[in-house]
Order: sequence, then C-alpha cells, then structure tokens
Amino acid sequence: MNLDLLAINQCVRCGTCRTFCPVFEQSGWESANTRGRIMILKGLTSGLQPDSQVLDSLNSCTTCGICTENCPAGVNPPEMIESARRQLVSTGAMTPQQADLCRNIFASGNTFGDARDRLSWLTDRSLLTKKADYVYFAGCMNSYRYTETAANTFALLHRFGATMLPKEQCCGSPLMRTGFDARRFVDENCRQIARTGAGTVITGCAGCYTTLKKSYPQDFRVLSVPEFLAERISEIDIEPLDLTVTYHDPCHLGRHNQIYEQPRQVIEAICRLKEMKTSGKAARCCGGGGGVRAGYKDLSLKMAKRRLEDVPVGVDYIVTSCPLCVRNLRDAGAGEKVIDLVDLVAMAIR
Amino acid sequence: MKDILQELKEIVGDRVSASPGERCCYVGDASQVVGLPDFVVRPESTSQVSRILRLCGEHLIPVTARGAGTGLAGGCSPVRGGIVLDMSGMNNVLEIDIENQQVIVEPGVVAEKLNFALLPYGFFFPPDPGSLAMCTIGGMISYNSSGMRSVKYGTVRNYVLDLEVVLADGRVIHTGKKVLKSSAGYDLTRLFVGSEGTLGIITRAGLKIAPLPKKRKLVLACFEEAEIAGQAVIRIFSNGITPSACEILDRTTLQVLKLCDALLAIPEDGDVILFEVDGTESSTAEAARQICEICQPTAKSVRIADGVEMDSIWAARRLVGAAISRLDPTKTRIYMGEDVGVPIKEIPALIKKVQQITTKLDIPAMKYGHIGDGNLHVALFIDVMNKEQWEKLRLAADRIHRAAMELGGTVSSEHGIGLARAEYLPEQVGTEAFSVMQSIKKALDPQGILNPGKMGL
Repeated sequence: MNLDLLAINQCVRCGTCRTFCPVFEQSGWESANTRGRIMILKGLTSGLQPDSQVLDSLNSCTTCGICTENCPAGVNPPEMIESARRQLVSTGAMTPQQADLCRNIFASGNTFGDARDRLSWLTDRSLLTKKADYVYFAGCMNSYRYTETAANTFALLHRFGATMLPKEQCCGSPLMRTGFDARRFVDENCRQIARTGAGTVITGCAGCYTTLKKSYPQDFRVLSVPEFLAERISEIDIEPLDLTVTYHDPCHLGRHNQIYEQPRQVIEAICRLKEMKTSGKAARCCGGGGGVRAGYKDLSLKMAKRRLEDVPVGVDYIVTSCPLCVRNLRDAGAGEKVIDLVDLVAMAIR
Repeated sequence: MKDILQELKEIVGDRVSASPGERCCYVGDASQVVGLPDFVVRPESTSQVSRILRLCGEHLIPVTARGAGTGLAGGCSPVRGGIVLDMSGMNNVLEIDIENQQVIVEPGVVAEKLNFALLPYGFFFPPDPGSLAMCTIGGMISYNSSGMRSVKYGTVRNYVLDLEVVLADGRVIHTGKKVLKSSAGYDLTRLFVGSEGTLGIITRAGLKIAPLPKKRKLVLACFEEAEIAGQAVIRIFSNGITPSACEILDRTTLQVLKLCDALLAIPEDGDVILFEVDGTESSTAEAARQICEICQPTAKSVRIADGVEMDSIWAARRLVGAAISRLDPTKTRIYMGEDVGVPIKEIPALIKKVQQITTKLDIPAMKYGHIGDGNLHVALFIDVMNKEQWEKLRLAADRIHRAAMELGGTVSSEHGIGLARAEYLPEQVGTEAFSVMQSIKKALDPQGILNPGKMGL
C-alpha cells in the first residue's frame, strides 16, 4: 500500500494517545488505540494483509481527533486513517457494514437507504424559494430521524431568508469518512446550491459541516447553525428560560473546526450552562462518528455511555449540535434529555 | 501453536489474540527494538498469570511482560517471539491506607490515575516520569523509573514495600510486608525492582506514598551556555539546597517547548534551568530566593513562576521528548543514547562531550533532563528514510554511552537496559558483578523463558 510514510514515521510510539483514545478506553487492545493503528498502517506498507481484524482496527476509529489534539509529535491520525480506508476500499478491502452503508447512500441518497421524500417533514413547500442568500443544508439525520429539529432549524433560518435544496443529497461525509468516493453527491449538491444563488450554506450537522467546509469546492461560505445563531441571536425574540443545561462538543464542530464559543454564547443567552467533566478541546467523543455507529454499534454505545458519565448533576438538558451525537447519547440511555441547540432556541422563542 | 492458543483461551477466555494485526501492535515500545509475538494475552488475575507461566514453562515459550508499552529500551519487545503479557488490564487500586501511608495496586494502574485517586487524601506517589499520564506502575517498578522529582523524592525503588510476583514456574511469592521498613533476609523487593521482567511477573505492589506539598515555586534561570548552567546547579546543591525538581532545557528544547505552547513565557536565548522547590509558603519563598541569588552572578536572567504559569511550563516539559518533529516534520526523534547519567559534578563535562560528539557527527540534538540527579536526556533526531543519518545516529549514541561510562556514570538513569543498551551492561557493572546477575537469573528462571535476551542475560 502506498501510505504516507513520512506521517507514519512521525509517530514516535510514546503512547500518549492511550490516555485519550475513547475506543481504546473501552477495548484495552492496542489495535484499538491510535498508536496501534499507526503500527498497523506501517505493517500494511510492509506486507501485513488487511484481514478482518486489521479492518476492524482501522474502521473502529471515530476520527474524533482527540489524539491529534494531544499528540506531542504533532501527528494527525484521523487523516492517516481516512487515507488508509480510501486505499483499502479502492482495493475492495472493506467490512460488510462499510459495503452496506455505501450501497444505501448510492441507492437512495441518504445513509438509511430510505426511499421516502427527504422533505416529508416540510408541510409548506412554498417556503422553498428558488433564489436565496442562505441555504439550510439539513443532512440525512435531521431529514429522516430528527425532523422536528429540521423543522425548527428551517423555521428559524427562513426568517433570515434561507431556502433549502429541492433535492438535497447526502453530503458525502459517511462515504468519505469510511473510504469511499463521494464526488457524485458533492457535485449534485453543489449544482443545486449554485442554482439558488446563495453565498452561504448553513447546516446543523457537525458531520455535514466539516464536509461542506473542507471537502467541497470553496464556492460558498459554510456556517454551522451555532455560528449563525451566535451572530444573530440578538435579532431573535427570545425569553430566558429557568433551566440549567450542559453542552456536549461534537468532535467535528469542536476539535475539527474550533467552534467552541458560539454554541455556548447561544446557550448563555437563554439559560444557565454547566460544563461537562471534559469539554472544549478535551471533550470526550460520543462514539458515533467516523462510521463507528454504523459499523460497531455496541462499541459506539459503550463510548456514549462513558460520555454520559461526564454530565454534571442537576442539569435539565444535554444540549449538542450534531444529530449523530444526539442519537448516540439518547440511545445510550439519556433519552429525550438530549436535545439539539436549535430545539433549545425554539423553546425560548416568544 | 493452535493447541497453545486453545490452552490460553481456556485460561483467559477471549483475552488472547494471535491475529497478525494485533501481534503487529505489540512488537515493541518507543525504542527501535522489535520482535513479533506469537500471542498477545491480557490476563486479569494473578492465578491466570500463574497458569500462563506454568504453560510457558512446559512448552518453553518465551514470556515478555508489558505495561503501557511506553518504554524506551525495548524491554517489552518480544525479541524471541512467544507471548506478550499485556498487564495493563490488571488496573485496580486495591487499597488506599492513609494511616499506614501505603497503597496496594495492581501493576496495570496508570501512575497519574493513582495520583488522582490519592488527591482527595492530600497524598501522592512521588516518582514522576514524563509519561506519568500513560505509564503503568508495573512498568515503572520493572524499570526503576523516576523522573522530574527524583532529585528530592528518589526513584521508584524508594517506594516499593512489597511485591506479589509470579515466578517462572508459576509459584506466587510476596517479597515484603505491609511495613515501612524490614530487615528480614535478602531484600527481594529491591531485586525485582528494575529487573525488567527477567525474574518474575509482578502482579501486585504495595507502595509507600507521601503527603502532597503545600506549595511549589519554580525558578527559571537562563544561561549563556549549558556548561555554565551545569556549574550553577552544582553550586545550588553545594549550598545545601535540594530542589524538588531541577531540569535543564537547551536552546533547541526551548524552541520545541514554544511550539508545544506558544504562550509560554520562557527565555529562548540561552540554556534554561528549571528549579522547583516545594514545601510551605515560607520555606519555598526562602529557597527560591536563595536559588535566584546563587544563579544571578552567572545567569542572563532569573525569575520566579508559580500557579498556572508553573503548571503550563511543566505540562509543556512533559511533552517535549516526543515533540521534536514539530521543529522539523521531516525528522523523527529516535530514542538512542537518551538516558545517560553521571555524578552531578561531572554534568558540565558530560554536556560538553555530548556537544562535541553531535557537532562532529553533524547530527541535530536536543538536550534536556534531570540535571539535578546527573541525568541528561539527549534527543537525537533524523530523517528515518536516510541510511547515512541512521549510521551517524548509532555512532553518536554509542559515543554518548561510552562518554557517560568514562565519567563514572551509567548508560541508563531511569529508562532501563532492555536490549537497546544490553551490550554496555557488563562493561558498566564489571564482569564479576554481571556474572552474579547471570547466576540470579539462572536461579530464578532456569529455562530462560522470562523476557529472554534482555539485559544481556
């Protein structure tokens, strides 16, 4: 395999990542730790065969980036792992779960393989103007699973002149994270965005955000919902709520894009914020990203359960800004206590 | 091998792996010493370890114990294959006994986690290696590690009161009692400390703990040259001051520190000594003042830091060993010749020799370390794709090791011998002393199954 040896050799195998990797924390096997994964990458360059255990090692990384944040040698493991996944997939080496995910997305344009209309939650289609300054990009999760959050978000953003894509497709993030080519979806979404004339695309999904921002052509500005709300919260008529909430930093908003302050500004404009045991750059991953929820559900939920141990006592809600995190934390036992930031804003609107 | 796998499964269930990928992850530590194990086993109890060793004895299977794999000398590299015993899963703090100033822990407990557990009681386990956040107590005992505060608090050896050890034939012994001192027979506890898994497998440890100091202060003294800095250190000790840490950071190290934390207010135009003092408010103030006074005549600058600033400096210092790639991403830090130690008064001479060696070979080096106990870490960094640089690196490491021995010092102060430094051990300790070590090894591990090949035994 043609992997980046310079990057692989930059790892000095000091083992600092053992302290932080949320997968290793659950597993205890070195192959489930960042250092082990890099050793496997090195092995692949010198004859190690990508058997199912090797694929499990590389595919069980949530790409949360906490190893990058803490690596003394400045290594960027998620980038290396995604690159390896691409190369493995290009040679046909993939897990059955990876193959299913890819099949679903190519068959239906969404991660669930759901044949229903993506905008079924939108009762008033007249709100979809052909031209607009902003496009709200809902993403697969909110379009099919958290339609109330999608409706709340669009209701908010429409006030500022946002429209939606008539035939939005999966942003491609799950494909890119797991090693597949997503150009078809990137091109289709770009074509529709261009037709609206919008200069800004706003999304409430951390996975979509990082993909739109880093893997799409730079033809438009990309904003996360927390960024947009932090800028415009004073223009929304909200009533402070007598609530105490905590905030879970989604990895792809926080560590991958340094969006830490904006969601907190929005929360503090509405209610009291009590931080989790680990937060900001040090926030523990919910276990849902990088294709791990799709490929290794039990492991993913164990990580989410661990994340819930970080929740401080006495909070009314766990607020986050990523539907993947919402799902994982809810499924791990927190239920309806986990809400999207937009849902909190919707509660506060007079 | 399939039969062995089956027998291992009967002992540890699914906590054994023979998959090529997993084995690839356990070839070694951060050194260049590697070996491919046949099996990786993650035991959960002393009885499992005992059964595994009996199995290994019957089939003459090499057994290499491993904690977090953060070693720097190849101690956990299974150079003759066999089984790697990953002890990090035995990670319970079994007892915190403040009245007796002791804890009982399993070997896989991470040192920092032990300190978190002790914090509410106002106590700590003083040995403080740079890898505190990930290294295990079992690994620390096996390599007699120490770290930044050993200048005042000593090494791990000073804190081990009792060990539960599984011998090569599966018997389980205790080496001590739950007492702070004992004068009963040979000191087996100290025999196993630093034995690098060659004499037995540690499955439990009774450790002495110490009360946390009320106050810490840090004096940052910057000198024109490392040699002048070394002389200042000698003067501090000669004046009867014992800092709780005494670290040297050369210019290159300071550049790397800045890359780790751009906001650090540390001088960059010289070689810096960090003197930490701990104790009460008044004792630390007085000691810091005295250190400043002693340094001032030869230093370019001297100042005192404490609180958050001091914590930030220490946090960056912990990262620095592995962070050299930040200075030049085309180069990687290779741990060779990285742990020499000499009598304190020879420190200036050692620094000078290391400088001469690396300059002559034209190999970049970062020098830092626990200068207060004569321990200098030399970080050599090279382009690992360049064969010529590898040659220079090996030559430099060899010369650094020999320079330390010529000055009456040691090839390893706290990282151990493993395989990386095995060739120097007979020369350093003398052939007669080495033959005693061989006899001890033979007595406790007659079949040579425990970490074979290490320490030259």
